[in-house]
Amino acid sequence: MGRRRRRGGREHAVGALPEAIAALSQTLPAGPSPEIFRRAKFDRPEAAPALWQLLFRALSPPAAAGARASPALGAQVRLVKSALCSQGYPRRVLAQLPEDGSQGSRELLLALAWLLARGPLLEHLLARTRVWLGDEIPLCQYEAPANPGPPAPCQEADGPVDIRHLQWLMGKLRFRWRDLITSQQELCALLGKIHSYTRGCHSDRGLDHLSVAEIELLRDPEGGRQLLQRLESENTRLEAALEWRRRELVFWQWMDTVLGSCPLEASPATFLPRDPAPGPGELELVARELQSLHGELQGAAEPRRAAWEAKAGGCGPEWGAAQRATQEAVGQDLAALQRAWEQGGAPAQPHRPCRLVKRDTRAVEGPGLRAAELTGALRTRESRLEAALGRLQTRCRQELARLAGAEPGLIWILPPGR
Amino acid sequence: MLPLGCSRRLVAELRDALDDCAERQLQLERSLRVSRRLLRTWEPAETPAAEPTPEPETDEEAPPPADTPSPQDLRELELLTQALEKAVRVRKGVSKAGERHGALGLKSAATSRATTASAPPGASGQAGRQTSETKPPRGIHQTTVPARGLPECRLPSVGDRTRMGRGASTTKPRPSLRDQQIPPSATPRAPEAFTLKEKGSLLKLPMAYRKVASQNSRLWAQLSSPQTSDSKDTASMAKTQFLQKMKTTSGWPGSGLAAAEVEAEAGLLRKACSLMRQRMEEVLSAEPADRIQEYYSLLTLEGLQAITEQCLHRLQELRAAVAGQQLGPWTEGRCCRASLSCEGRTDPTWSPQLLFYSSPEELQSLAVLGLRVAMLDQQIHLQKVLMADLLPLVGAREPPGPPWLALCRAVHSLLCEGGERFLTVLRDEPAD
Repeated sequence: MGRRRRRGGREHAVGALPEAIAALSQTLPAGPSPEIFRRAKFDRPEAAPALWQLLFRALSPPAAAGARASPALGAQVRLVKSALCSQGYPRRVLAQLPEDGSQGSRELLLALAWLLARGPLLEHLLARTRVWLGDEIPLCQYEAPANPGPPAPCQEADGPVDIRHLQWLMGKLRFRWRDLITSQQELCALLGKIHSYTRGCHSDRGLDHLSVAEIELLRDPEGGRQLLQRLESENTRLEAALEWRRRELVFWQWMDTVLGSCPLEASPATFLPRDPAPGPGELELVARELQSLHGELQGAAEPRRAAWEAKAGGCGPEWGAAQRATQEAVGQDLAALQRAWEQGGAPAQPHRPCRLVKRDTRAVEGPGLRAAELTGALRTRESRLEAALGRLQTRCRQELARLAGAEPGLIWILPPGR
Repeated sequence: MLPLGCSRRLVAELRDALDDCAERQLQLERSLRVSRRLLRTWEPAETPAAEPTPEPETDEEAPPPADTPSPQDLRELELLTQALEKAVRVRKGVSKAGERHGALGLKSAATSRATTASAPPGASGQAGRQTSETKPPRGIHQTTVPARGLPECRLPSVGDRTRMGRGASTTKPRPSLRDQQIPPSATPRAPEAFTLKEKGSLLKLPMAYRKVASQNSRLWAQLSSPQTSDSKDTASMAKTQFLQKMKTTSGWPGSGLAAAEVEAEAGLLRKACSLMRQRMEEVLSAEPADRIQEYYSLLTLEGLQAITEQCLHRLQELRAAVAGQQLGPWTEGRCCRASLSCEGRTDPTWSPQLLFYSSPEELQSLAVLGLRVAMLDQQIHLQKVLMADLLPLVGAREPPGPPWLALCRAVHSLLCEGGERFLTVLRDEPAD
């Protein structure tokens, strides 16, 4: 390291690589030193564990990454392999690396570069550990796991359960939500007080009052120092990330050489037996839903079409224009609907965190959300969801009635209060 | 008893849901603890203010008045502050006593608190601005001779001090340096407890923090701003080429569909289904007022039908890809599927938006709504999962007899009543 940077010419490109790698290593959380990168190019075994750990941190779900102590290297290796697999990593060499994490540093370097090339990995990693200084309330949607993941290392017996156990779990869930709502209400009341007591204290006029994190900083000097340190180290990483952006071209040129130095893969071997990745269950569920929707649409549309055709006789010439206009309108309508799910979500549901600011509504101008508007949007959403749940429950009722009705000699008394 | 696979799946789902709740609760409790602590009386060792004398702020809610301090007052204030800062610097070099008699060293801003200048000496050090310094004052014993001299000059128009405090603090960003210690007056006084309610408006963030925080937001803004086109283009070209090379050198003839992608598409299709269903309900429940509307409804329904067919087709393709073992030579399960994909949907470098609320009640209703929406989302997901597993069981009618009836009853309660109510089953014996 320590080559001089010179402007222009090959020297420049060559000399810029250490800086680029240094910037990369500084941006990555607990990033391996630039020396590791260099050793990895030559597939040195000592570079492998650090790279496994780095990939583990990058690929594990955000919540898990910080919370628990990191698992053993072997577990990390397995997780990295499976995560890369599900992302579609194209090289099979990775799967064949030993689980003790002692080899394969060049392959890991390629994997890291692959992840970097595919998406804004650095930005995501930075965002995960971002220091938030404001107060917020949870407005994100519930991310339903698509399929139950492999059951957590099991506490109780994994055997079959009685349905009463399920009922008990559901009841527990209901109570937990109730508790959550009460706690949240209390927190909001406290925040309201805190915000109003510190009115006018913030140097930023737009914010006007302090947030809990900022007041904590004042109350507890030790904590305040730590917060400052975290901010400062985040700033360093951010600067390194910007530096990386300026220099990354050199890195990609280098990675080309790394890739070139790999031996070519053998012809595709036999497939190893494996489970189908997302599980048939998930696709099955969606398929069933789509089928039933299709059936209902057909059931609704056909009679209407028939009725329409029957009446279509008495149309005047002006009808043609109206007809075309309607077709056009419906086409646009449905296209917009399709865009709504293809683009992944209504913009009205911000995933981005919002900093709470208590302000007299009359005094508010400028960018930012207003609680009243959000409340309105959420109410609409709530009623839609309630309606959807109600429909599902009705379907179940009908289905159960059908199944049970076949059983003679029984009277089913539905519970009151529906 | 339920069959094994079914049990495992359902228990796992419910446990996931319970864990999600537990995590939220944990975070909430953490925040509650912190907030409650802030609203209580702060420990003397920690109080930043603690000017013993000032009248408690009577009316926090008093609207900030319109009058602003005159320029002359501001100048005097500025002079005082500078003098005090200098005194502190001198003093700092002299003594580093770290006794934690928090109250003593730190004076509240005269401008906001000082009552009359005849206030006891404790109040006299107040010309300087309220510091946010929570470190214990140094050198209580250092009688601040220079300092004492200064404050005797009362700030004239400090009549409306509370207002001035705020006004000044906002009109003049006079910093109170983090280590600015306004030395205590000669007679240390017993500190009054600091409560946010009474003295919250005196707080001021340290300069060091403000600098770092503003740098932080500036850097984030830079990171999230679109890059200049040339560098971005060459870099992205280089990246695409690299990815291409990776693929070709792997010798892998895969269809290119990764498990995560299949899952993402399945999610989209699910969403499509629910949006379309919603539109269908809207159309079906509306009464067409005239022929055009009738035609509109008809075309909409047929259009939806066509789109559903397309979706089913796509689903078939996905299933074929999954079944055709084209997804890769790996044996592991698929944890971390969501980690990068769901992050992908949100731009990580967004600066936090501001959410304005005007009253705690408004905030409460918003927060509760947010939770209810999340809860309903979860309930709908669980409902679908339960339906998929339990309805077939009921349909299979085994074990026959009373156990099946019990199962029916339980399933009905779970699926149709949210587990809250039960139906009753009576056997209708024919009269003999």
